[in-house]
Amino acid sequence: MSAPQGAERLDPEHLVWIFRQMSRIREFEERVKRTFEEHPGVIRGHTHLADGAEASIVGSIATLGPDDQFFTTYRCHGYPIARGSDPKAMMAEIYGRRDGICKGLGGSMHLTDAGNGFLGTSGIVGAGIPHGTGAAWAAQIRGKGQVVLCFFGDGASKQGAFYESLNIASLWKLPIVYVMENNGYNVHTRTEQEDANRAAGEDLSVKSRAFSMPGVTIDGRDPLEVYETVRAAVGRARSGEGPTLVESQMYRLSAHGNIIAPPGVPLHFPEHEAIEKFGAPEEYEAAKQGDPVPAFRGRLVADGVLTGEEADAIAAEVREEMQAAVDFGLASPFPEVETALDYVYA
Amino acid sequence: MAHELPYIAAIIEAIQLEMERDESVLYFGQNMATTENEPFVEAFGKDRVRVTPISETAEIGIAVGAALAGYRPVVELYMAEFMLVAMDQVINEAPRFRGMSGGQVKVPIVLKAGYGFTAGWAGQHTGTLNALFMGVPGLKVVVPSTAADAKGLMATAIRDDNPVVYLHNYLLTLDHGDVPDGEYLVPFGEASVRREGSDVTIVGTGWTVDRALAAADRLAGEGIEAEVIDPRTIAPLDTQTILESVDKTGHLVLVDQATRHASVSTVIAGEVAEFGFGSLKAPIVQVTGLDATIPYSEPLEAYVLPDDDKVVAAVQSVLGTAPVTAA
Amino acid sequence: MLNQHKRPGESLDGGQAAGLLATMWRIRLFEERVGQLARSGDIDGLVHLSIGQEGVAAAVCSQLRDDDHVYSGHRAHGHAIAKGASLERVMAELMGRDTGLCRGLGGSMHLVDVEHGFMGATGVVGGTVPIALGSALAARLRGTDAVAVVFFGDGAVQAGHFNETINLATLWRLPLVLVCENNGFAEFTPRSAHTVVERVSDVVAPYGLERSTVDGNDVPAVWDAFGSYLASARSGAGPFLLECLTHRVRGHYEGDPGRYRDSMAEAEWKEKDPILRLERHGMAAGWYGEDELRTIGEAAAAAVEDAVRFGLESPFPPSALLEAAVYADG
Repeated sequence: MSAPQGAERLDPEHLVWIFRQMSRIREFEERVKRTFEEHPGVIRGHTHLADGAEASIVGSIATLGPDDQFFTTYRCHGYPIARGSDPKAMMAEIYGRRDGICKGLGGSMHLTDAGNGFLGTSGIVGAGIPHGTGAAWAAQIRGKGQVVLCFFGDGASKQGAFYESLNIASLWKLPIVYVMENNGYNVHTRTEQEDANRAAGEDLSVKSRAFSMPGVTIDGRDPLEVYETVRAAVGRARSGEGPTLVESQMYRLSAHGNIIAPPGVPLHFPEHEAIEKFGAPEEYEAAKQGDPVPAFRGRLVADGVLTGEEADAIAAEVREEMQAAVDFGLASPFPEVETALDYVYA
Repeated sequence: MAHELPYIAAIIEAIQLEMERDESVLYFGQNMATTENEPFVEAFGKDRVRVTPISETAEIGIAVGAALAGYRPVVELYMAEFMLVAMDQVINEAPRFRGMSGGQVKVPIVLKAGYGFTAGWAGQHTGTLNALFMGVPGLKVVVPSTAADAKGLMATAIRDDNPVVYLHNYLLTLDHGDVPDGEYLVPFGEASVRREGSDVTIVGTGWTVDRALAAADRLAGEGIEAEVIDPRTIAPLDTQTILESVDKTGHLVLVDQATRHASVSTVIAGEVAEFGFGSLKAPIVQVTGLDATIPYSEPLEAYVLPDDDKVVAAVQSVLGTAPVTAA
Repeated sequence: MLNQHKRPGESLDGGQAAGLLATMWRIRLFEERVGQLARSGDIDGLVHLSIGQEGVAAAVCSQLRDDDHVYSGHRAHGHAIAKGASLERVMAELMGRDTGLCRGLGGSMHLVDVEHGFMGATGVVGGTVPIALGSALAARLRGTDAVAVVFFGDGAVQAGHFNETINLATLWRLPLVLVCENNGFAEFTPRSAHTVVERVSDVVAPYGLERSTVDGNDVPAVWDAFGSYLASARSGAGPFLLECLTHRVRGHYEGDPGRYRDSMAEAEWKEKDPILRLERHGMAAGWYGEDELRTIGEAAAAAVEDAVRFGLESPFPPSALLEAAVYADG
């Protein structure tokens, strides 16, 4: 199964790969969400799902070569899936088990797969932006043409770390692409309530002008538009022309995260803030109509890239794969308690 | 063989030697590397040595990212208080990534920052915040008090695979000392017994080590022999050496430039009270900064800080028969 | 595109110009004296002088009321004096005396004069920018037409907290006027080491706030530009950013050898000096003559000497002061 890895032209195999990764992410996130009902108590603490963001995630990751790296936010499950990390180890991590990708020490918000260019995840909004910037500096020194993708949400673009990092990246012409996933919300706040540009009816990519950096706004629900744009930005970065800010617009289909309730009460996902808080169910319905996963499936079938049966077969394989991930996670034992004291120091 | 250097130059010598030895070591920060003919730029080039804007969050975060990606950055922060702008990166990011990732990554960064410059630099530039960084799992903290230790601890800090907060005391900047030539490493977690004695143990860090030594000289004139210990690193902290000394002397005085509840001395006092209780012949006494933002006016600035007189008085109270009262 | 505001009929008049000159001479001579006292040790500590930047302080602060809150950074003497702080109490503060504005506790970088609305300075670059926004918010909540003004240098613009403030100020449309003294250097490095964007007004452009760039040494221009923003802010608009291109004659701090930049030639400085320019401008306009200028200068010099004497004769603060200064009562 061929990942595009930044190929100039996407052939049918690549398109199918993109569809498969989007499906894998969707199914994985669905299974995480279902764990709250099916196995209450297994997932503790915060978890944040990427359903609705699949097109942007896969379209971006598809531009990377094997030596490239990426940093994300606590909403981090989708990227390593597209990158090739093992979903069994990821689910075990979210379940806090010994065979988790971080040995059960990190959890949902801190997934890491260093061997795959996924060097570590912070739970603090905006904190990963300087991290990605630093990795890009390392790449620049190494001079092997590596690029870093740095993902964050629209909420992070108000953080000081955003301004400081993009300014430096522009000044030093670092090989990095900043991908801002604007899903219209920052936890329970709508973007226009907290962002001066949005309140003025502008796209957030205009912020790049503060750094003399190219900025572009795209439809993050179209994986091919994402791929084209991010690929061009990656090309710029790789050839030493410096960073780009890509604002990828989308809608997240789940609430910000699960509800954290006192012990004894099952932790579950509430309804999306549009419904729960803002009383705008029609907004949510419209977003569901634009769900990127079935939309891309429909497009590939309509274009004759996939038949309906082939698409169904992929869906079945993906369901089976993620069922195995859940089974693996549940079967994995908890780590030995003394592991808590491991890996404090190198 | 050794050569004499001021404290600040010894630190720079260590950075330079380590950058020569290992091309993954980087050095960057504000107000440096702006012209071609600065020594570090000349020696190591503008890839590895860079100037940054006033952006502490990004500076430290970039160091974390570059470290995750295989480099060993040294960040020149000038003042520990400037780290406060970026405390998320110092406490919540750099030391935690290794643990949270289950050991997949390491973050070998050095955050070099000066502290304690009580020379009229006023309330925001003169504090001693060293103990704030203790007790953060994954973070190491070093506080050299001599030129030789300044060099050896910086070299060790750079070679250490963990984030290290390297705190150099601004009052010691021009203090000269003999510094070993060439490669010189001082291990972490090994206190230095600066003066031997059997009547009382005095523990200080940074600038207060000299206060302890000066007090010890005066006390010797009264027939009191003080043992002066400098932990050199406060995380990891060599409590063993302190406990052994207290076992010998039975008396402990702790001197710290910080305020009482944010001091290294309070932590040591707790350790000795718990693990060395049987050795103590008198309560522990701490001589710390007073609880105020460091005032600008010179006599008040001196008033709030420990000094030789206060250390001598503390020793006398610990050894004397008068009851010890709370500060 | 720069966004220049000019209201007809509000240009500087002769009386105002003479007042500005008096303020500027007071600041200039005060700062030169502080430099001498720092070298002789009567002022003991870190000081940052604003020689060369007096025009901005005077043109801005002279138009403000006591209930307009002004904030500054480490280079604050001129701003405090222009806002109404007495030379004596500033000098005494720098000398660490009990009669100083902060009773000797704050020093050069931490001047406060609540009576005149000079609410604070900071040693952390850009540290007062978010705080000034808080004052602007308070004015809005109280329903007054007071405004908040914050002075900062070009180095502060790259700091995260500066940018966080711009977003909120613009979102909430608060009456904050940000005055940037862009002297091309942040501590010891030129602007080009900090960012690719040369003009501060371009950095904040994406937020769409009213902004302009003026020659900070052209006092009538600063007066006009700030005056127009002030009038708008008082009628409920905001925020505004005024970038004043200026020049710091001395090093970053007193004692800085300044090897990182070329010093301006004396002849060139005489052309640019805001004080000399306003004097020439006013004489040509018939506002004042040589005699009046001499009087202004002598009065300023006398006031500065009085301040020095006052400071030297003042007692140091008692140590008991410290207990009262840590926490507020009640």
